[in-house]
Amino acid sequence: MISNNVKIKAQDLNVYYGKKQALFNVNLDIHSKEVTALIGPSGCGKSTFIRCINRMNDVIDICKIEGSIKIDDKEIIDNNIDVVRLRESIGMVFQKPNPFPKSIYDNISYGPSIHGLADNKSDMDQIVENSLKKAALWEEVKDRLDEPGTGLSGGQQQRLCIARAISVNPEVILMDEPCSALDPIATAKIEELIDELKKSYTIVIVTHSMSQAVRVSQRTGFFHLGKIIEVDTTEKIFKNPGNQMTQDYITGRFG
Amino acid sequence: MTKEERIKKRYNAEKRFKLYGITSVVLAILFVVFLIYVIFSKGSSAFQKTIINVEINFTLDSLYLDPNPSKDDLENVEYYDLAIESLLKVYQVNGLKEEKALINLFSPDYEYEVRDFLIKNPEFINKKTILKLTASDDMDQLHKGNYPRHLPEDRRRINDFQLMMYDKLVEQNKIDKIFNNYLFQKGDSRNPELAGIGGALVGSFFTIIITLLLSFPIAIFASIYLEEFAPKNRITDFIEININNLAAVPSIVFGLLGLGILLGTFDLPRSTPLVAGITLALMTLPRIIIPCRASLKAVPPSIREGALAIGASKVQSVMHHIVPLAIPGTLSGTIIGLAQALGETAPLILIGMVAFVVDIPSIPTDPSASLPVQVYLWSEQAERGFVEKTSATIMILLSFLITLNFIAVYLRQKFERKW
Repeated sequence: MISNNVKIKAQDLNVYYGKKQALFNVNLDIHSKEVTALIGPSGCGKSTFIRCINRMNDVIDICKIEGSIKIDDKEIIDNNIDVVRLRESIGMVFQKPNPFPKSIYDNISYGPSIHGLADNKSDMDQIVENSLKKAALWEEVKDRLDEPGTGLSGGQQQRLCIARAISVNPEVILMDEPCSALDPIATAKIEELIDELKKSYTIVIVTHSMSQAVRVSQRTGFFHLGKIIEVDTTEKIFKNPGNQMTQDYITGRFG
Repeated sequence: MTKEERIKKRYNAEKRFKLYGITSVVLAILFVVFLIYVIFSKGSSAFQKTIINVEINFTLDSLYLDPNPSKDDLENVEYYDLAIESLLKVYQVNGLKEEKALINLFSPDYEYEVRDFLIKNPEFINKKTILKLTASDDMDQLHKGNYPRHLPEDRRRINDFQLMMYDKLVEQNKIDKIFNNYLFQKGDSRNPELAGIGGALVGSFFTIIITLLLSFPIAIFASIYLEEFAPKNRITDFIEININNLAAVPSIVFGLLGLGILLGTFDLPRSTPLVAGITLALMTLPRIIIPCRASLKAVPPSIREGALAIGASKVQSVMHHIVPLAIPGTLSGTIIGLAQALGETAPLILIGMVAFVVDIPSIPTDPSASLPVQVYLWSEQAERGFVEKTSATIMILLSFLITLNFIAVYLRQKFERKW
């Protein structure tokens, strides 16, 4: 099922870290309510690209972004937009699980509380429960919500981070190699979860695993040396890539 | 070299290294034990003072009082005659010279000790009681066994007649050692038996509170701003280098700063905890900023990113996530900085805290002493009594420093959270 509804549109995106250019004229469409996988060798600019979408690159002083990214036709590479509002609607899950050193409950409730999404304690309880349920973690942690989030296993921590991301009702979830620190069983759970989540959210996932891209994504973009080489449906990229480099990469001849 | 020889050599090198380490640790412990032993053996006797039991008959006549005197009357009358009369009854003496020798066995404050007792216990009017009057410094040292009584008479301040009286009084059980309340209650004095660290304690307390109130908030805001908000450019690099330089500036230079600017330009009162506190706050600032920034830096960036990614603003991510994790390091850095300030002597000497201050300060703008400067002042006094007082003050100062360091360790462990 391929949607034709473009959610995020990147045009002529150039990113520089100081003098070094990390992205060259990237043009990429990300479609609504589906999973877009970004693949490519290390250092090719996949992470840089998704960090442009929620402006996390702002944290890096020397980073400079040129070009345009539009979300629902609204330009976000613009100094006047409010990055706090932007990040509220674009959740992010990182490579290494990074729960806050607080209780499981506080990990989830933090986002809704700073954005004022709950009027009272029972609202908040409901948000926490729903988020954990959507992240397929509720059954495992419902009896120990006041225990530290950092005490969970790696896979559980990552699902906690996903629950934290969806607690503020984002439209887009960015995932930066969410399974690279996890074992195959935890990975399978996260992949199942991603499959479920794409019904409600637009998901962009950076991954080093070809098989993961095949399993979870509907569309795949291949990056190499800061350029986007090929974007197409996952099926086409892996069965019949249009570019020799893509062909070489997915068959493991380089990278 | 064969493989076996190489392995053996490696093991030997490891053993040697461990041996060096253990030797260094043992040496360090020995030095500390020696230091503490010397200070304790010299200073512990200062916590007791020698007293002489004197029978006093508080008759109205001897005090020139009317019947039923008021409290003011008691405070205003002359106690000198009564005191002298009672002292002279302690031992049978003949002639002015012998009388003087007897009176010199007591501290010069006998008159006030008698007065203070009666004001506190007016029910003793027209009654007899035995008062424990403080003995003179020489008597005190003699009774504590620190006095060289074997020296020839012309090289002692206590003459043979006084020695004889002392021995007789000891026989009659009239001389005793009790807890030295003066050590904590009184300010400085020229007489060791009447000198105490009360003024220095209060002065040091005011000083350290002012230092804390000034340096802690400034250091915290400066470090959070520099670490989390300031752009990384040449100006902030320059500030960072200078903070590190300031932390290494000898403390006496801060004393000069206090002398020149606080006393000179702003004309603040000399020898006061106020000026001392400001001066030490300047000195302590970089010493708090450095550990505070280090503990902010030690918070993993993933926490920061997690908070920002969920839509926290910069201030929210810092205040809700980074600062709480940096609290243990910050607090222990602050306390250790304050402990250093508490033991600092040189800058206080420059801003006039070496002045001889008898009164105990009641507000931070009163002239005052401070503990480390009191040590310095007493260490250069000639009287034997000041030797034990010096060591006792060091003991008290050290116990404060050790307490502060324990608090630092405790706070660090209490607030430390794993992530």
